[in-house]
Amino acid sequence: MMRPIIKAERLGKKYYLGPRETAPPTLREALKNSLHSKVKTISGGNRSRHPSVWALQDVSFEIQPGEVVGVIGRNGAGKSTLLRILARITKPTVGKADLYGRTGSLLGVGTGFHPDLTGRENIYLNGAILGMNRSEITRKFDEIVAFAQVENFLDTPAKRYSSGMYLRLGFAIAAHLEPDILLLDEVLTIADASFQKKCLGKIKQASREGTSVLFVSHNLGAVQDLSDRAFYVHSGRLHAEGKPDTLIGNYLKDVAVQASASD
Amino acid sequence: MSTSLNDAKALISDVSPPAWYRQVPAEPVTRIRPSKSWEHLDFAELWAQREVFYFLMWRDLKVRYKQTIIGAAWVILQPMLITLVFAVFLGGLMRVPSDGVPYPIFAYTALLLWTFVSNAVLSSSYSLVTNAHLITRVYFSRLLIPAATVGVRLVDLVVASLVLVALIVYYDVHLGWRILLFPFFVIEIAALTLALGLLGASLNVRYRDVGTVLPILLQVWMFVSPIVYASTIVPPRLRFVYAINPLAGIIEGARSSLFNLPFRWPSIITSVVITLSMLIFSIHVFLRMENGFADEV
Repeated sequence: MMRPIIKAERLGKKYYLGPRETAPPTLREALKNSLHSKVKTISGGNRSRHPSVWALQDVSFEIQPGEVVGVIGRNGAGKSTLLRILARITKPTVGKADLYGRTGSLLGVGTGFHPDLTGRENIYLNGAILGMNRSEITRKFDEIVAFAQVENFLDTPAKRYSSGMYLRLGFAIAAHLEPDILLLDEVLTIADASFQKKCLGKIKQASREGTSVLFVSHNLGAVQDLSDRAFYVHSGRLHAEGKPDTLIGNYLKDVAVQASASD
Repeated sequence: MSTSLNDAKALISDVSPPAWYRQVPAEPVTRIRPSKSWEHLDFAELWAQREVFYFLMWRDLKVRYKQTIIGAAWVILQPMLITLVFAVFLGGLMRVPSDGVPYPIFAYTALLLWTFVSNAVLSSSYSLVTNAHLITRVYFSRLLIPAATVGVRLVDLVVASLVLVALIVYYDVHLGWRILLFPFFVIEIAALTLALGLLGASLNVRYRDVGTVLPILLQVWMFVSPIVYASTIVPPRLRFVYAINPLAGIIEGARSSLFNLPFRWPSIITSVVITLSMLIFSIHVFLRMENGFADEV
């Protein structure tokens, strides 16, 4: 029996919908308010008044090394929240998850680029965030650049990149720095057809080399093509998991039912 | 039961893992848990991510010193211009006591350190907001962001110290053994600045008006600290109150070490104790609020 590389138990994330403090009109009030609410925040007391929503609730699963899991579900179902928790961008409100490997993530087009750093420097920065040392990154450098097709823009600050270049380089870094776990959010949806194909190929290759991939996508074709298994997230819960074909079928049926209901 | 279990085990051991199979470690690399009320500082993680610290610092320095002349000049000009103004009005016209040291070098020493404090506290308070795009996309210890900002200002301090060296030569200041303690005061002032920067940064994520209040507080702080005057103008019976401001002990100490004057240990020790307590407190506040940064920034 293989040991899972990701183990999540009853993960939940609650968001508070409270209105943000309106700008205090005077300096005196600003000081008073900020001091006052600081005390309240530290004691954790000012939140219960606000209405809250569970963006994610009671999500448990295990992912094996080399497994590719596609996450499907409607907008706002909690797919991205799940990935954000696993990428440690935000902490869960309840539950726990253990990751038994180095995690690379690409959450949306924004990536984790520093706009003032050049493409070259961003490759090293991202590698450093992954916990790699410079010689490891240097070893992978040419491959990343070739994959992302940014040879001529290596010394251009990332802020001058087109969104396509941003995406290509972001994906190339995340996929080539050999993480044990790769988290991808809506990457395939944004990429153009030819790069999408390249991404699919790379994800398959990474999986063959033992990387586990958890990806969120509205591109159901890609989910079907890539995944060994699918998660269907609905209203913050892991509604179903299993064969991609079956789940995509269920999902499309639900969407159709909802569409006809709202007509 | 036991036989079937053994059969199963034998079956499993027969199947060797595929060639690509990566060894999954027994212990998780990352444990994701809800936030606790007291988060511990993860030194191992900070060490593993030291390159990130280096990159964050290096990027800021690159932007600053890109046009080398202008960049470095501005860093030097800021404390110099202020020194010039105070030297003319306080030192020259009002003859403010300066411990028997020529007023310009007396003031420049402190203004050099003060410029560092003021700039570093302000920029590290804004650092999380200006790095929001990183915080919401990738994970690394958020502590590295304000820390790197303080590091950048520390480099500025070193650059601006060149003028201090020139002034030492010009005024023919005789250095003594006490100069050996000068680096200690620089470290202490960096620790104090980091403490305030962390506090400012975590508050600024939630309350954007912190940026409005901070410059005013900093201005007040400058004048209650012995920067453009010597702390000897404070009556001896009030010195212990005056020493509650940790900056007082640090600035005095730095000046004593430079001009080889006797150290006033009570205020120096007070400043060390207060600085350390503040650093521990603000690291705690920062780690506590760190969990919400990505949701709020």
